[in-house]
Formats: sequence, structure tokens, C-alpha cells
Amino acid sequence: MPSRPSTVTPDVVRRIAALARLRVPETELTVWARQLDRIVSYIDQLKELPEESAASRDSVRPTPFRSDSPRWGAGDRALAENAAVSAHGFGVVPRVVGGEE
Amino acid sequence: MATAEEVRARRRSAQETLAETLARVEALDGRVGAFLEVTPDLAFEEARAADARVRAGEDLPLAGVPFAIKDNMWVAGREATCASRILRGFHPPTDATAVSRLRRAGAVFVGRANMDEFAMGSSTENSSVQLTRNPHDLERIPGGSSGGSAAAVASGMVPGALGSDTGGSIRQPAACCGVVGFKPTYGRVSRYGLVAFASSLDQIGPLTRSVADAARVYRVIAGSDPLDSTSSPEDPGDPESAAVRGIGGMRVGFLAEAEAEGLDGDVAKNLDEARRLFESAGARVMTVSVPRAPEAIAIYYVVASAEASSNLARYDSVRYGPRPPSGDLASLYVESRTLGFGPEVKRRILLGTFALAAGYYEAYYGRAMRARAVLSHDFERAFGEVDVIVCPSIPTPAFRIGEKTEDPLTMYLSDIFTVPASLAGLPAITVPSGFSKEGLPLGLQILGPRFGEDQVFAAAGGFEREIALPDETPRGVR
Repeated sequence: MPSRPSTVTPDVVRRIAALARLRVPETELTVWARQLDRIVSYIDQLKELPEESAASRDSVRPTPFRSDSPRWGAGDRALAENAAVSAHGFGVVPRVVGGEE
Repeated sequence: MATAEEVRARRRSAQETLAETLARVEALDGRVGAFLEVTPDLAFEEARAADARVRAGEDLPLAGVPFAIKDNMWVAGREATCASRILRGFHPPTDATAVSRLRRAGAVFVGRANMDEFAMGSSTENSSVQLTRNPHDLERIPGGSSGGSAAAVASGMVPGALGSDTGGSIRQPAACCGVVGFKPTYGRVSRYGLVAFASSLDQIGPLTRSVADAARVYRVIAGSDPLDSTSSPEDPGDPESAAVRGIGGMRVGFLAEAEAEGLDGDVAKNLDEARRLFESAGARVMTVSVPRAPEAIAIYYVVASAEASSNLARYDSVRYGPRPPSGDLASLYVESRTLGFGPEVKRRILLGTFALAAGYYEAYYGRAMRARAVLSHDFERAFGEVDVIVCPSIPTPAFRIGEKTEDPLTMYLSDIFTVPASLAGLPAITVPSGFSKEGLPLGLQILGPRFGEDQVFAAAGGFEREIALPDETPRGVR
């Protein structure tokens, strides 16, 4: 693989982990960055390809949608059976405002 | 399907069949590890129901056939965890549509098959629960991510299993384990009740011991479903008839880019033999080019990871999954996800989040989607010249357990021959095609145009008859 400056640095890992709501310990940032950068470096081969007329050849089918109308499902029962804590048909979560920092 | 014919003809009951199946699972699965859970009580209830329906005169295409179901599909009454800690204890409220169609056809569910966590992997080593071993060599991987399904069928524990295929997760383990594995056209089989990994790629399909069996299971589970708006109303065809039709005059294109990859010696030799067999069966054999196929892995790991990072954003331990101690909502999200997901799932989420992040989106996701469109166009053009495209299913025979776990990119390249059909949404099948020098199974992959399942089954059935491999018990479970 040709040498290139790293795209995925420890700082990038720190930022995307925060976006993904994952905790990556500071001591592991370098390892994650190295692994992900190796994969991204492989993906970068796509940048070498000519892109002419690619957009006009859109062979990927558009996603079909069903009508946006309410429908009763098994969600209530699933929630009652599977949520760690539920009350009144809702999942209970820790307090959103004023919790521990 | 021989089991179904026996039960339909009332030469053997579904309950007797199930008892034999459970005895074999009991004898073998300690060595193989295909099942995360076996559910005999529920299975006997289903077997009794199948027997009653047969006695009542119902015509059941899968009467009493014991199935393993990959752990990312909903089967009412059983857990569905995707072999992940974050879904431990999750009980789905209903059956997946594919599962309910099997049930309607008389199938019996033996248990949950092991898999790579959230179907992310090529070796089943990413299961958070256990290893699954290849029945042909217990020191080797069964492939993945549907490794439990493939190993359960290959070892003769069950005649059929459902797997899911996002980038090769049915076809690659089928090849590693020496069984048939079929991924239908995207949209042929409803994804309702299949836990989402990459929604534009995921597709459910069968793993079986013969092409005819795969055709029957596919026919049962295919068809439109109001619960999945991407499921197609196109008629699923007549795959069982197609599988016995013969391949005289069929235009069979061997993929030029696969042969240019520098194939493993055993795989190259096996491909040459396949070419000879197609010729001797009367097919018109030629070489066909799909110029963008070599870039498929790069495209795939952007598109699939981006979709995975979005789909897996829902896991936060609020509605399901174990809940770790946490002070506030933000820390609940972070702690549950950090403790609940394994390393490979985190890697894909991070990669997908990167590809979708401001500043990178156009250079990665945008570019990959355009390249995907060009790849699909390449295939459309190729199918103007040939009826089916042939290439290997796997670049090497099954590797040793642990051999690639430290190098994710090398592991990703295991799917180099299966990912192109996934990106283009094409039907593709793995048919056992012989063995390596070390006695490990090899698989031939046959791809068809969108909704060209009948062509795929015709070519696969013809090849299977031509090669006529002996039906032997794998040496690891003798």
C-alpha cells in the first residue's frame, strides 16, 4: 500500500467515538486509529478511479416506502417483556436533566 | 426434500424425525458448537402440529423438516440475540416473515444457530458466546457470518437452515463447510424480523445439502410482504423445476477479474475443473468482464459500515438488553454500547460513523455509492452477454481458527468474491465443487441477473449433477 499521511488519527477516533456513543479509552486510541487508518487506506483506492458519468448511471434502485399511516404492532408487548425497566407502557430511563456528571 | 417426503407420505412422523435430529445434535454439537440454544420442548410442539396437519391432509412442502435458524431472525418463543451481549435476553414479539412462512410449510425449529455478532464477520469468531468449528476440520473456521447454520447442515444435524447474507454471509460459510448456500435477489425475501445490519444489502436465504432442497426452501420463503416495503411483488418463478432443467446451450461466463486475482492453487484448479464440467454438460462457456468487481470490498466496507452505524444507533439498553449502572441518560447510552458491543461491531460502527461524518461524507460515502452504481451497471452489461456468471465463492479453503483475528483487513478480503453480487442485489448460490489437497471443501459461486433465480438454479442443478460429489459425513464428525 502506498505511504500516505494518516487520515484516521487518534483525535479523529476520539471524535467519531463520541458521535457513535462509544467509550474508547485514551490508551487505546492509537491502536484503533492504526487499524481504522489501514482500512481507510484500502478504501482510498476508490479515489484513484475515474468518476465520469458515474452519477448518470444510477443503477441502485430507489428505496420504496410504504404509506406513512399508524398501524398497531406488537411493540407494546415487546417493550413490556424486554425493557429492563418499564412503567405505564414506556421504557424508564435515568433522569435526563440534573443527573450525575 | 427427502425428510419432507417421508413425513408427507407418513412413512415417518415429524416427531420421530425430530427425535433423531436431537439425538444427533446431542452427539455432535459439543464438538461443533453450531447451536447457541436448542429448544426441544418447543420443537416437539411444532412437530406434533406438523404431524396433525399431515394427518388432516394438508400439503406441506417442508413437513416435519428440522431447521436451524440464525440468531438474527425472530422466532416467536425463542431469544434472538445476534450472538451479542447487547441483545441478551431479547424475546421477539412474533416470527420473522421468512420464519412464519417456513412454519406454514410445516417446518420445525430445532434451535438458534451461532453467528458473528450482528452478522459482522467471515469466520463466526466474532460471536460473543462461543466458537463454531468446521465439521471437516475442527481446528478451522466454518466461515461466517452464518457459520452456525452452515456447520449444523454440513454435520448432518439438520437438513436445512436459514442464514442471512449481507456481503457473503450465506455463500462464504456454505463454501467453507461444503454445503449449498443461496442468497436471493435483494427484495425476494422479506426482511421483516431480520435484525438489520446493512438494510440495502441484507437478504435471508437457505443453507441445505442439495440444490433442489435450496430451491424448495427459497420458494417457500420468497414473495412480497406488506411488512417489508422493499420486498418485491415479482413472481418468484419455479426454481425446483429449473434445478432439473439442464444447462445445454446455457451461456456461462467465467469472471475474468476473479481469475486475475492470483487465485490459490487449489481454487484455480477447481475452477478449471468447473469450466470443463460446464463444457461437457453442453453449456456455452466464455469469459466475461465486470471491470469494477475488484473494487467491491472497498465499496462494501463504506456502504455496509455506514448503514450499520445508523442501524445500530438504536441499541441503548432502554427498550431491550441488559442495563449497566449509569447516572444519567447520556452515560447509559455510552456504557450500554461500550459494554454490549464486541470489537468488530465497534470497528464497523466507528468506520461507518467516519464515512458519514461531516468533512468525510462526500469523499467516502458519496464516492462509494457512485462506484456501487457503476458496478451494478457493469453487471447489467455483462448479463447482456451471458445467462450466469461463475467465479469461486472463497479465495482459499477455510483457514485456521485465530489465523486472521488480529488483521481485520485480511479478514475482510475473505469476502472478495461474494461482495460484488451483494452490492448489485443479484441472486447468487454456492455449490460444493470439490476439495483442496488437504481435504477441505471448495465452493463454486453462480450469479444471475436481478430476479434471475431460475437461471441460477438451472446452472447450479446442472453443475451439481455433473460433478456428482459423494454424500459423505465430514471427517471431523465421523
